[in-house]
Amino acid sequence: MSEADLARVLAQVRAGDPAAWGEIYRRYAQAIYRFCRRVLPAREDAEDATSEIFMKVQRKLGTYDSSRPFLAWLYKVASNHCWDTLRRRHIRQDRETGDLEKLPLEHPGPSQLDWMEAEHAGKEVRAALARLPDRARMALVLRYFAEMSYEEIAETLGVRRQFVGVLLLRARHQLRDALGPGGAHAISTGRRA
Amino acid sequence: MSSANDHFDEVTGLLYLEGQLDAGHAREAGTHLASCETCSRLLHALGKESVWLREALVAQDEPVPARLAAPPERAATQWGWMAAFGLAAVGAYTLWTGYVQPGIAQAEQAGFTQRNLLTMLFFSGAFWKGWDAMRSSMEFLAAVTLGLVAIWLLRKQWRHFVAIAAVMAALALALALPAPAGAAEVKHGNPNYTLAAGQEIKTDLIVAATRTHIDGDVDGDLIVFSSSVTVNGHVKGDILGFAQELIVNGPVDGNLRTFSQSLAINRAVGKNVLSWAQQFDLDAKATVGGSVNLFAQNADFDGQVGGDLMAFAQVLDLNGSIGGNAQVRGQRLVIGSQAEIKGTTQYHGRQQPEVSPGAKLGSPIEVTMVRRGPNYTRFRYYLHRILAWGASFLFGLVLLLIAPALYSDVVARCNRPLPAIGLGILLLVGLPAVAFLACITIVGLGLGIASFLLYLVALYSTQVFVGSWLGEKLLGAGQGIGPAMARLALGLAVLRVLSMLPFVGPLADFVILLWGLGALALVFYKTMRAAASTSAATAAA
Repeated sequence: MSEADLARVLAQVRAGDPAAWGEIYRRYAQAIYRFCRRVLPAREDAEDATSEIFMKVQRKLGTYDSSRPFLAWLYKVASNHCWDTLRRRHIRQDRETGDLEKLPLEHPGPSQLDWMEAEHAGKEVRAALARLPDRARMALVLRYFAEMSYEEIAETLGVRRQFVGVLLLRARHQLRDALGPGGAHAISTGRRA
Repeated sequence: MSSANDHFDEVTGLLYLEGQLDAGHAREAGTHLASCETCSRLLHALGKESVWLREALVAQDEPVPARLAAPPERAATQWGWMAAFGLAAVGAYTLWTGYVQPGIAQAEQAGFTQRNLLTMLFFSGAFWKGWDAMRSSMEFLAAVTLGLVAIWLLRKQWRHFVAIAAVMAALALALALPAPAGAAEVKHGNPNYTLAAGQEIKTDLIVAATRTHIDGDVDGDLIVFSSSVTVNGHVKGDILGFAQELIVNGPVDGNLRTFSQSLAINRAVGKNVLSWAQQFDLDAKATVGGSVNLFAQNADFDGQVGGDLMAFAQVLDLNGSIGGNAQVRGQRLVIGSQAEIKGTTQYHGRQQPEVSPGAKLGSPIEVTMVRRGPNYTRFRYYLHRILAWGASFLFGLVLLLIAPALYSDVVARCNRPLPAIGLGILLLVGLPAVAFLACITIVGLGLGIASFLLYLVALYSTQVFVGSWLGEKLLGAGQGIGPAMARLALGLAVLRVLSMLPFVGPLADFVILLWGLGALALVFYKTMRAAASTSAATAAA
């Protein structure tokens, strides 16, 4: 769908055309569902969230700035919704403080990362991702799935812009740990090598 | 990073890779990279990690569920739901007018001028002297309403239940502490306590002892926690007693309120008597100026009562005189030849009352025979079931709107019935015991009563959680408030039908009670544990 087509369909949606809304939904539902699926560990939660996000989108469509990519705006709405859901449901235990000192700063051994790449199929990575603390998982998904900027990530997660890099790196470390014995241990051995 | 040996850290590497370094740092890093093989390898590895991370995340590993095939529709008010709301409101109104209001009216008729039992019991007692200004029920209700509104507004800030518990506990302590500290004399037995004859306590007296003898006079209220209590002296205020055995041989000018295994009244009580006792004995010499409210297994009633009698007693042997009306519920009522009831007499029981020909009754006794179990042939029975469904649906709806996260968590916990039922068995017995123990201490009295009331609310809410879980199994998980209401309505209806079945119904009710209670407790446990670990992590940091 070209930009002009999208603008036309969005205008029809704003005018209350259900067919146009159906078109938008069919086009983007899969992406939003997959986003929710990555962020919310339970499939039922992801399904509920997808529906709720689209209801929210329908209400908020008037606030969409057409100078921005529509999908990016959708991801922004979705990330806010999912983050709210996570915050509401759980007392987050991953209380990040922003202290760089807390971060293990060893370089990952390149051979170790190669090993991880070869060893862990996408399915295992996604399973490990589901075990991460909410904020770490959210950060990785926002950056590497929704391709959000550091500013957007900071705004969504309520952290300082300068802290986003640390947050992402820490999330990567946690993911490596969650992937098993090849994770943290291999990082340190790789560094020594 | 001036030399090849000054490797940059991993954060810098990631920021460089993702184009997040400012121009100066980026230039510096680029220069370093050109001459440092270690850092180049690091950057290469991080880049590859980013690639496989992206690939893993964007992979289309599962299809979009069928239920998401069509766009969600905005919830619209439907006639069905409006009818359900109407029914629920009627149910709540009926419960109020059918059960709550008559109870209050009865209490008022029995001489309790305050609007409800709790107010009468505690807010006008020695603990609550500071509440005198708030005695009127309208003021009290206004305060409660404001409190609820405040909780509603602050609920997002109060994510930690521990914080709520702490605030409530502090509130209860603040209310309970000042009055006794400032206005009463507190005595701890060692192990026994005796107020000798001829001695007089000029204020309220609070006693905690194994055995208590009050032979002297108490100018104010007497509050006593003791295994055995004997009051021979004159108490000019009220007596509030928690005891195994309580004997009142001396005059009491105020009210007598007791929670005991046995209570014997042998002298005059100026105002009213409220008693929970296994054995209640009102001696022929005893008089009660006001009314008597009685919850007892066996009651021998030989004395004189100026006001009304309201009794829930398994066996009531009445041989005294009652100046007002008598309302009795129980299994057996015996009205002896010396008995006199000047007002009306109502009796609900399973056996016909035995009335001596010599008894003087102001009007013929109104007898309502209570049948065991439900009467399936009466329309009224089904109407009550429907209204009860409406009331529980309304309660569930309020719960759903006020605390959606708690609601969904508890319903999710119902997915594992066996652990929940196991925990429910423990809590069903354990919680009242803990609340009772809290009541034994003076400071914990407010907290204990609050806990007990919350416990009752929790028991009622169990049907809501299990019903909602059942509804989800029948209708599937849907998003939004509409499907949640549908699940709740259907689940509660199924449970209501289940509870109507002969033999199976009571058992099902009991299992649902345990199940829901256990699930609720699991959620609270999980929440508190998470809060505790968070606090520990913060403290460690």
